[in-house]
Amino acid sequence: MIAFQNVSKYYDLHTVLRNINITIQKGEMAFLTGPSGAGKSTLLRLMYMAELADEGNIIIEDLDLASLKMSRIPFLRRSIGVVFQDFKLIKNLNVFNNVALALRIRGVVEREARNLTSEALKKVNLRHLADSYPQSLSGGEQQRVAIARAIVADPLVILADEPTGNLDPGTALDIIKLFRDLNLQGTTVLIATHNRELFRGTGKRVFKLDGGTLSGEEVG
Amino acid sequence: MAMPYSFKSALQSLCREKWINILSIFTVASSLLIVTLTVFFLYNVELVTSHLPERFSMMIYLKDNLPREDTQNVINMLQKRADVSKVRYISKSDALKELKQTLKDTNYILEGLDDNPLASSIELRLKKDFVTGATAARIAEEVKKIPGIDSVFYGEKIAEAIHLLKRSVENISLIIFLTISLGVIFVTYSTVKILFYRKNEEIEILKLLGATGSFIRMPFLIEGGIIGLMGGALGIVGAFIFYIAVTYRLSMVIPVLKTLVFPLEILIALPVIGIILGIIGSAIAIGRLRL
Repeated sequence: MIAFQNVSKYYDLHTVLRNINITIQKGEMAFLTGPSGAGKSTLLRLMYMAELADEGNIIIEDLDLASLKMSRIPFLRRSIGVVFQDFKLIKNLNVFNNVALALRIRGVVEREARNLTSEALKKVNLRHLADSYPQSLSGGEQQRVAIARAIVADPLVILADEPTGNLDPGTALDIIKLFRDLNLQGTTVLIATHNRELFRGTGKRVFKLDGGTLSGEEVG
Repeated sequence: MAMPYSFKSALQSLCREKWINILSIFTVASSLLIVTLTVFFLYNVELVTSHLPERFSMMIYLKDNLPREDTQNVINMLQKRADVSKVRYISKSDALKELKQTLKDTNYILEGLDDNPLASSIELRLKKDFVTGATAARIAEEVKKIPGIDSVFYGEKIAEAIHLLKRSVENISLIIFLTISLGVIFVTYSTVKILFYRKNEEIEILKLLGATGSFIRMPFLIEGGIIGLMGGALGIVGAFIFYIAVTYRLSMVIPVLKTLVFPLEILIALPVIGIILGIIGSAIAIGRLRL
């Protein structure tokens, strides 16, 4: 479960998020939408503690982030698979090792890490590029590597920040289908996107952010 | 497992940033070479000075015509002391014999003597640790109080010099070792700090993916350790070349250099010291990680 209880975030005098209240049930898939600068990325960053909320509580899978010890932050992050908007791939590692890194960090034995990495790359149709380095890939391919890395360790929660921003419409829908499949297996999924086509007709809840406040909720 | 990944990552980084690493290895090697040469020099000085206390002796002259029983009592009392290693009794006649041998060709000067003018004496050798000016003086004072002893003579300046020489050798070696150690730590600190800044983006990604501090630190510590190890190994090669040059080449001009001994313990100690100092430098460079 993901719960935001009266969460606010300020940058100096500027309010980025104001009094956010959202609850996403365990195993639910939801979308977060709004124009650029609405606070979507910040909201996600608060969830994996890249930033800390100034007010309110955030609860992720029974963990109250306000009282979480610093030493436990890595373990929180391991329970979340994040697809970053700027991919955050390591330039010196090839595609395979970028994806496998998520497993090595978790201490998965090498043979199993290799098998799981191959499977994840297969899911995003990138097995043929396993030996390539990020800088030789297109934006769409890099995005798929980032998705493979987010799903490879089978996390409890997947957070995706504009995961289809660099993909053609066909591939974008394939990726959304991939997230839906993971969700069907019980993974909680939250996707931040400004592309309404991605959630139209999905029947999933869509939270609308505008100027840092939750302006509404609809069903896609 | 984190370990093999850390090793791989450290080795990759060593190859990727080869110039800065090679430079560091050579700097560490030169520093450790200085340590080796210092140890080499001090080891040989120690070897020579360690025997000096054994040669230090205290001469105790007994009163004239001291009965045999009393002489034996004096000897027994001296032998019981914890600071004494050897007690040798020299009778009047033995003393004269020794004097004649010392004088050799000029012993005719003793021919006019009717009686043996020399006193019976005891040569006292102290244990190594008691050969200092102050201790020798204390022992002499205590010994003087034993009934039957007339006077005590010892080279107080020699005792003090031996002690001072040993202390100086120890202090100099410690100062040089600490100074060079700080230098090596600083070299690895600077190298790892630069690598750490260069990898800043990578480290941020690792943190966001859930890496613990130790997972992030380990490759840097290994890298620092390898720099130290290779510096140490290279330092040994340099020191060995120096040793061969000194003992084989220079000894032709200065024969005493042939007696120099190369401490073999350093073959193991230097790489180990290199690893430890490299790891310490890296650990300081990384500091506390903010997750």
